[in-house]
Amino acid sequence: MDLRLTETQEILKQSARDFLTTECPKSLVRELEQGEMGYAPELWKKMAELGWLGLIIPEEYDGMGYTFQDLAVLLEEIGRSILPGPLLATLTSVFAVLEAGTEEQKRELLPKIAQGELILTTALLEGEGIFDASGIAVKAAPQGDDFTIDGTKLFVEMAHVADYILCVTRTNTGTSPEKGVTVLIVDSTTPGISCEVIPTTAEDKLCEVRFENVKVPKKNILGKLDEGWPIVETMLRKGAIAKCAESIGAIQACVDMTVAYSKERVQYERPIGAFQALQHRMADMWTAMGTSRYLVYEAAWMESEGLPCAKEASMAKAYVNEVYKNVAKWAVRLHGAIATSADHDIPLYYRRSKAADTAYGGTDFHREIVAQKIGLT
Amino acid sequence: MDFSLTDEQKARKQEFYDTCKELEKRKPPSFLGFETIYEDDECWEYNLHCAREFAKKGWLALGWPPEYDGQGDMMDKVLFAEARGYHGIPGVDIFGVQMLAPTLLQAASEEIKREFLPPIARGEVMWCELWSEPNAGSDLAALAATAIRKGDEYVINGQKTWNTGAHKADWGFGVFKTDPAARKHHNMTFILFDMKTPGITIRPIPYLDGHAPYCEVYFDDVHVTAKNIVGQEHEGWAVVNLLAGFERSGINEIMSMLRGLEQLVAFCNQTKRHGQPLSKNLLVRNRLAELACELEAARALAYRVADLQNRDEMSLMDASAGKIFFSELGERFAFLATDILGPYGQVKTSRWAPLDGIWERMFHEHFITTISMGTNEIQRNIIAWYGLGLPRMR
Ligand SMILES: Cc1cc2nc3c(=O)[nH]c(=O)nc-3n(C[C@H](O)[C@H](O)[C@H](O)COP(=O)(O)OP(=O)(O)OC[C@H]3O[C@@H](n4cnc5c(N)ncnc54)[C@H](O)[C@@H]3O)c2cc1C
Repeated sequence: MDLRLTETQEILKQSARDFLTTECPKSLVRELEQGEMGYAPELWKKMAELGWLGLIIPEEYDGMGYTFQDLAVLLEEIGRSILPGPLLATLTSVFAVLEAGTEEQKRELLPKIAQGELILTTALLEGEGIFDASGIAVKAAPQGDDFTIDGTKLFVEMAHVADYILCVTRTNTGTSPEKGVTVLIVDSTTPGISCEVIPTTAEDKLCEVRFENVKVPKKNILGKLDEGWPIVETMLRKGAIAKCAESIGAIQACVDMTVAYSKERVQYERPIGAFQALQHRMADMWTAMGTSRYLVYEAAWMESEGLPCAKEASMAKAYVNEVYKNVAKWAVRLHGAIATSADHDIPLYYRRSKAADTAYGGTDFHREIVAQKIGLT
Repeated sequence: MDFSLTDEQKARKQEFYDTCKELEKRKPPSFLGFETIYEDDECWEYNLHCAREFAKKGWLALGWPPEYDGQGDMMDKVLFAEARGYHGIPGVDIFGVQMLAPTLLQAASEEIKREFLPPIARGEVMWCELWSEPNAGSDLAALAATAIRKGDEYVINGQKTWNTGAHKADWGFGVFKTDPAARKHHNMTFILFDMKTPGITIRPIPYLDGHAPYCEVYFDDVHVTAKNIVGQEHEGWAVVNLLAGFERSGINEIMSMLRGLEQLVAFCNQTKRHGQPLSKNLLVRNRLAELACELEAARALAYRVADLQNRDEMSLMDASAGKIFFSELGERFAFLATDILGPYGQVKTSRWAPLDGIWERMFHEHFITTISMGTNEIQRNIIAWYGLGLPRMR
């Protein structure tokens, strides 16, 4: 056991922090929130040059061949600086392609992703907004060499700038909702696809994607026909851990900013950080951060080692969801009015805590997985 | 980051678990958790039995240097605590083995080490801690009991309180004012003494459930040889602080909660309410899952603390965070479990009590971890002042 970061991870962390400090000031975050695209293409290129976009892509596909755990370390820094953009959306698709893609699909997609030439996203949720297979109704009907997709997907991250959409479709109504789900790799320029950005708390460009008579060649199936749900489970599991890694970086930022401010802000002739009511709250924020961090590291380590970790991933997500929201809330409260203003940095985190919570399954969704995994029948 | 154990550690861990599992089979029916060793003669005997079994294997000296017949390292100690926690096995004297021995190793003279360490390793001598006084709790340095030097002896007078197991222990360690005129923190000495020394009176105090795990101890001209001290004379405060930093991972308590969770899950699977197993109740599922997440978070942090300790890089802040978290998790767990059990949650061990009435006990036992060993408020002060660098209260 050695819970310190490895040397590689320390270097990755430091270089990410340096890079993001100069390249991702909060002014950029605000600009991207208000802009239409939601990401900065020049920055995306630079991230590709740094090897981040191909970090976990094997070297044979022009990636860096790093571990999932290394990725978690990078994402912690990304979360600390709340860099907006389609990074996690693309990575989530990478998880799926790595797991289920054919050699041809991998050769086609992965090198271009690593070079920053392709943005991918996954279209999972629909009207009900649930993460279970029973929520998948959008049909993909076979027609000759094609499938025809009809229906509407919701909360698709960054779909408006994506080159490909991994669309989770219903191809069969089998014995259980999990049977008959197929993942299709859809070129976003295919006729019949339209996309609209949904206004959200974090302004993070979640989209409504409408499919009207959209033709997708059968060879674009990811994995097997009707057997796509396990791919979705992989995406949700790895995505959940990845999101948690971002969140612990964000939690750290909230704690750091709050502690620093409490040493500067003077009321009643003393820094507010001298008030024990605030000290104990900050101690609790710090404690919550520590418990979150090692829970996430444990899950990331298991994922890296290829150990089954559906339980740990869901535990991490269910736990960190609540910690992030609460730490960010207390960060606002401890700052007072200043942190309720749009010009302050803390609200950027507070708003993102809601986005982080919903992405890859909310608290109750993951608690139900945990309930099953601890043996409740 | 690497959470894995070496093959050697895995084998050790297995051995710890196997031994504890065997010992669990010999639990007397009256044994209902660690605190009961102080409350019941049969349980105390069981405690001594487990101590002797562990001593035979050398496990009471885990992490000690070889010259004192020690074996293993801090990580072994943690794995051992894990196994004991899971199987709920006593036998490792929290005061002698967990607190005093590492203190002696770091701060005592060679003579004192040679005299007191071997009986601890053999599981022969049980200890108690005599620090708190009626007017010195969190602010321990405000203590009043004195030990005045007369030739080659100290003569102790005063009162200590809340001393766990003082009525069972063979020996005690305490802090007393030896130089009442000196300034705070440089006026007290850390002294070891036989609890049967004339002049010591021990009065058990009933805990809120009526059992008596702790005592008041009165000292009336108690003579103790002056060589029985740890650290320098008048510098006992440094020793107190040293001791407060040992084996703080909480893994023992956490594993015991994990076992409790497993038993509760089995209970929910088997027990019908409203015509269906409790396990089908969505609220029960959600609340138990929430607790399971917190428990895993506590466990991961405990490994972090253990890993740091094993590397001699102990961070007070992490240890305090761990203590706050697992102890308050204990409170939440007790509330949750007694809630799920409905009216049965209040039933003491008897034929009406599900799960041996263990949750009824937990409903009040959790105070032990939140209040003793530095209250959780004091732990929060430690994080705020020493960890986050916030202005210290004056
Ligand atoms: C079950 C149990 C077993 C024990 N066993 C032993 C034993 O074996 N040996 C022994 O010597 N002692 C023992 N103790 C005593 C224990 O060490 C003290 O209870 C503890 O140090 C707190 O002191 P106190 O109870 O006097 O509370 P106080 O110090 O009077 O505190 C009362 C309240 O004020 C808060 N408070 C105090 N100071 C501060 C501060 N600076 N900032 C914020 N809040 C503060 C506390 O957190 C608490 O909530 C035991 C206690 C219990 C409950």
